[in-house]
Amino acid sequence: MEQVIQMQKIRKFYNQGENRLEVLKGISLEVLEGEYLAILGPSGSGKSTLMNIIGCMDRFQEGEYWLTESFVNKMNDAQLTILRNQQIGFIFQKYHLIQKYTVLQNTMIPLLIRGMSRKEAESLSMEKLELLGMKERADHKPNELSGGQQQRTAIARALVGSPKLLLADEPTGALDRSTGEEVLRLFQQLNEMGNTIVMITHDLHVAKSAKRIVKIIDGELFEGDEADVALA
Amino acid sequence: MTKQKLSMGQMRIGEIMHLVWINIMESKFKVFLTSLGVIVGSATIILVIAVGHGGEVEVQNEYKTLNAGSINVAASTEAQMQDQMMGGFGGGFPGGGMPGGTPGGANGNRSGGTRRSGGSGGFGGFGGMGGGGTGGKAVTLTESDEQDIASLVSGLSSVSIYTTGTSSVDGGDLTEETDETVAGVGSEYQEMCNLDLLEGEFITDEDNEDKSKVAVIGYTLAQTIFGSAYSAYGDSVSIEGKKYEIVGVLNEMGSVSSGTSPDDSIFVPYQTAAKYIYGKSADPQIMAIASDVNSVSDKITEIKAVLMENHSNVKENAFNVTDAGSTLESATSSAKTLSMLLMIVAAIVFIVGGIGIMNVMFVSVKERTQEIGILKALGSSKRVILLQFLLEATFISVFGGLLGVLSGFALIPLVRLSGMTVEPVAASAVYSMIFAVGTGTIFGFYPAWKAAALMPIEALTQE
Repeated sequence: MEQVIQMQKIRKFYNQGENRLEVLKGISLEVLEGEYLAILGPSGSGKSTLMNIIGCMDRFQEGEYWLTESFVNKMNDAQLTILRNQQIGFIFQKYHLIQKYTVLQNTMIPLLIRGMSRKEAESLSMEKLELLGMKERADHKPNELSGGQQQRTAIARALVGSPKLLLADEPTGALDRSTGEEVLRLFQQLNEMGNTIVMITHDLHVAKSAKRIVKIIDGELFEGDEADVALA
Repeated sequence: MTKQKLSMGQMRIGEIMHLVWINIMESKFKVFLTSLGVIVGSATIILVIAVGHGGEVEVQNEYKTLNAGSINVAASTEAQMQDQMMGGFGGGFPGGGMPGGTPGGANGNRSGGTRRSGGSGGFGGFGGMGGGGTGGKAVTLTESDEQDIASLVSGLSSVSIYTTGTSSVDGGDLTEETDETVAGVGSEYQEMCNLDLLEGEFITDEDNEDKSKVAVIGYTLAQTIFGSAYSAYGDSVSIEGKKYEIVGVLNEMGSVSSGTSPDDSIFVPYQTAAKYIYGKSADPQIMAIASDVNSVSDKITEIKAVLMENHSNVKENAFNVTDAGSTLESATSSAKTLSMLLMIVAAIVFIVGGIGIMNVMFVSVKERTQEIGILKALGSSKRVILLQFLLEATFISVFGGLLGVLSGFALIPLVRLSGMTVEPVAASAVYSMIFAVGTGTIFGFYPAWKAAALMPIEALTQE
C-alpha cells in the first residue's frame, strides 16, 4: 500500500518572549492509501494545528513531512498552494461554501483553479453532485440549502479534483445528530470506494465511525490504547 | 520516492472573469455605489474639457476677422489709458475689424452685451469717448502720418487710416433716425480686416478720391434697416441727413470681443466721412499690417518713432499702439488658464473618487476574507486572487467611466442653457476613460494585494 501521509517527529512551537509554547511535540504519523483515520482530541490539544499542517496551510519548525510523493518541507507557498489543489480535498466544519456562487459553481472551483475549461469542470462536478444526491440542487445558492445539503456540496467540492487525501475538520460539528450520522455513513461509503480519509474531531462517537483512531493530547499523538495509558 | 512534479495549468483568464462577473452581478447596488465617484469624475472631465474648449473656440471666433500681424495706432486720451488698465485685452483695438475705442460705446455694448466679453466691449467704447472731442487729446493723427509710416517703416504690407464714430442713420424700414456706427475707411481696409462681401463691392480708391457718397453695410444692420441683407444692396441710407448709395453688403462676420462688429456697422470712404460726417471732431486711427508676424514689436517701436518725429512736443504715451497678436495671445491664454483650472478640479474629483473606490475595496476585502481563505485553501494562487480583485476594481471603473462619459455628454446641452459656450471634444471620452480605469486600478490595487497576501488559515478562521 502506498503511503499518503508520512510524518516524522513534527514539532511546532511559538516563541512568546522568553517562553516557548510547544503546540506539537514531535508527531509521527503514517497514513496509507485507502485508510480512514480519525484524529481525536479535545480543544487545545493541538489538533487544529496538526490538521493545518497536514493540509499544507501551516508550517512547522522540525521534522519531515511527505504528502504522497511530495516533500512538504522543501516547498514554497506557491508550491504548497498547488499541492493543496491537487492532492487534498478539504471538508470544513462550517462548510466554507462561497455564498454568491451556486452549488455547481462552488463544486467547480478546484477544477477551474487547475485551469480546466468550464464545460469540462461542469460535467465532472455534476457527476460528483449526482453521487452525493445534490444534482437537483445544482443551481441553488448555499443559503437555500439545509446544513446537511451544504456539507454534501462541500464534500462534492472536495471529491471533484480526485485528491489523494480527503481532510475533514469536524465535518459533523455544525449538523444535528441524524444529519451528522448521514454524513458519517457517506464518509464510510467514500472510504469503501477507495478514498483515503483523515478526519479531525473531538467527539469519540464520531471518531468511532473511522477504521482507525489516533488521539492527540497536549501535542502528542497516541495510537489506540496508548492514550488511556498515558492519561492514567 | 521521487519528487513529484508540481506543475499545473493556471486558472483560465476567462474563468476568472466569469467569477468576477458573478461577484459583480451578485452585488449590483454596491458596485453602483462604488462607481459613483468614477461616474462623477468622468462626467466632470467631459464637461470641463467641453467648457475649456468652448472658451477657446469662442476666442477664435471673436478674433477670426483679426489679422495676426495687425497694429493699431490711436491718439491717447487719459480715458483711453485708463481703459488700457481696466479693460484688459481688446480695449481700443480693432477687434474684428472695428475699433474698440470708438464713440460707438453704446453700440459696442449692444453687440457685446449678450456675450461673455460684453464687459470689455463696453470698456472699449468708454475709452473711445475722447474721440468725440471731449477728452484732453494731445494729438490728432493725419493722412501724412499714414503716408510717413507707409514710406518710412519697412516690412508693413499695408497701412490705412480710418475713422469711426456714431452717426444718425435713417432710411429703409426705419421709422425714425437711429445712431449707428459709421466708419470712414480706405479700400485696403477690407483686406486688412478680412471682410467678405455678400453682394456688391467694397469702398474703392476712386470713391475715396471723389469723396463719393457710397456705403457698404454690415449684415445685421442691413437686416435691421431693410428687412433682409439682399434688399439693402442698391438701396440707399441717409447718414447725418445725406443720402448714400449702398454699393456692397458684408457677409455675416459674427460677433467680436471688443468694439463693434462689422455686422452692425456702415462703411463709407474715409474722405467722405472726414468731409461730411465727422469733420473736426474726427479722431482718425491708423492700422498697419506687419508682413512678418514676429516683427510686430519692432514695427511698433518704429511706428512710434515716426509719429514722435511728426508730432513734436508730445510725450510718447500720446500714442496708443496695440497689436492683434498680443491681444489674441492674452485672450487665448486666459481661455487656456481657465481650461487648466478646470482640469485641476477634475483631477481632484478623480482622486476623491479613487479614494472612494479604495475604501469600498477595503471593506469588500474585509467582508470577503473568508471567501479569500476558501479560495486559498482550495489552491488559488496569490496571482489569481490579486487578478480577481483587480479585475473587479477595473470593471467597476470601466462601468463608472462609461456611465460618466455618457452622462457628461448628456449634460452638455444643459450647461449650454447657462449661456456658456460648450464644445464637446471626442478625445475627452478617451481621457476620461483612461483616468477612470487608471484611478480604479491604482486605488483598487492595494486592497487587492492585501487580500492576496492573507494566509489561508488566518483568512478562514476570521468571521
